[in-house]
Amino acid sequence: MKRLAFILPALLLASCDSAPQATFADASITLPDDPLDLPDLPGRDAVIGNCTACHSPSTMLQQPKVSREKWEKQVAKMIEIYKAPVDPAAIPQIVDYMVAVQAEQAAAEQGNVSRETSGQAGPKGGLEGV
Amino acid sequence: MDGGKLTRRTLIAGAGGAALTAPVLGQKLAGHLIDLGLPGGPSLRPLTPAFPGKGEMIVQRIRPPLLEAPMSVFREGVITPNDRMFVRWNWDMPTSVKAADHRVAVGGAVKHAVSLTLDEIASAGEHVSVVAINQCAGNGRGLSDPRVTGTQWGNGAMGCAKWTGVRLKDVLAKAGVADGAARVRFAGLDVPLTDGAPQFIKSIPMDIAMRDDVLVAWGMNDEPLPLLHGFPLRIVVPGWFSTYWVKMLATIEVLTGEDDSYYVAKSYRVPAAPITPDEKDFETVAITAMPPRAFITSHADGDVVAKGKPLVLEGIAMGGEAALAKVDLVGERGLEIPCSLGPDEGPFAFRRWQVTIPEVTGNLAQIGVRAANVNGAVQPESLAWNPSGYARNVIERITLRAQ
Repeated sequence: MKRLAFILPALLLASCDSAPQATFADASITLPDDPLDLPDLPGRDAVIGNCTACHSPSTMLQQPKVSREKWEKQVAKMIEIYKAPVDPAAIPQIVDYMVAVQAEQAAAEQGNVSRETSGQAGPKGGLEGV
Repeated sequence: MDGGKLTRRTLIAGAGGAALTAPVLGQKLAGHLIDLGLPGGPSLRPLTPAFPGKGEMIVQRIRPPLLEAPMSVFREGVITPNDRMFVRWNWDMPTSVKAADHRVAVGGAVKHAVSLTLDEIASAGEHVSVVAINQCAGNGRGLSDPRVTGTQWGNGAMGCAKWTGVRLKDVLAKAGVADGAARVRFAGLDVPLTDGAPQFIKSIPMDIAMRDDVLVAWGMNDEPLPLLHGFPLRIVVPGWFSTYWVKMLATIEVLTGEDDSYYVAKSYRVPAAPITPDEKDFETVAITAMPPRAFITSHADGDVVAKGKPLVLEGIAMGGEAALAKVDLVGERGLEIPCSLGPDEGPFAFRRWQVTIPEVTGNLAQIGVRAANVNGAVQPESLAWNPSGYARNVIERITLRAQ
């Protein structure tokens, strides 16, 4: 680059000379199903009964491995802030389940390490389809 | 059950019904998987065109949808097509909206509260368009190290579109802002499933609300806002993270004081000063304006390049809250080469950059691009770690192998 491109505030807004009238039609979509694809480990029923109405398994299974204490805090946050109607008796089972799921995932990731290209954070645009 | 709210009984009943069908996520959705390179994993996600109006998107969550654009989307141009723009909902939203029935209530500290139809919104003022980047506050959270909980985005929770609508200040004028107005708060049609949970409402200071480029928008790249992007109307705040760009806009409320609602006062906040991952008690500030960022889109980490030949690297950059000033290629042993910038689509748009390395003499280890904006903000060498993984803008680095 031969010169630094210090840009003066550019013209920001393009006004429509002959303002075309906006028209609004009804909109409707159908979302894909949200399957309950949860590993069969102790506590699964407690998770299904108390968590999956609001949480896709797709989210629950994609969290980084965190401590049991962190999971306890997460469940408490759901109850206190988001008013999730969680059965108090189910809390330890939910925590146990998430800890067990993550232990299983960590073991699986270990098995996959050999085909990871790198642990570096960065654009991975070229890795579609792996 | 009241108005769609959930009780424990309905939670269980709903879950039980779904469990009977229980198809496997991978079979149901995934054409194939994509590796987001999240340190420590889990790192693989389905990449699928299964969502309405969307092309191939990375599925972070099915309900409410969280969809991320693969980085390949950003290889060409600066406008992100509507079908590749990331999708993010905090709560379930309606999947059907009747245009004639939709109203936007404008109230709070106003002279006369009004309830506006879509046609009344569209005739509230001059129609204007702005090209602006829409980026999730948590974009890149999954790359945090140490990792943090939340949506595990790679860097694709961003996109750049041409937004068309009327100025927010023209809509506010329909009600007349009263003396003492301090902030303007927005609510959409997405509501919590549980009684007493905080609604996703967000507010901006009055001086931002009155900006000429802050819009109540119905157009996205010259098409009606898709429902997944907030049909019929969404707020657009160029230069600010998209958490303020409230979708399915239904309520505009003028406040006379601070906003103590959950998603402003308690959530979407970052440490006021840098912290270490061990620190627990620290002051926080609301996350607002975006910092500069830049990405290499022509190559991915681990790609092989030709030794002895010139190498052209390309990508996109953004200034954030202010126009992009420059982009430099940086690497080990003091490597620093200024990049040339492509056409300027406005201060809040992506801008393409390009740089040529005259001859590749060996591996290009830990190279990255560093953006700076006209306010003097520059991407940092190391991550400003925060417990919610917000506002990532560390220089993103890759290694290219020469052969």
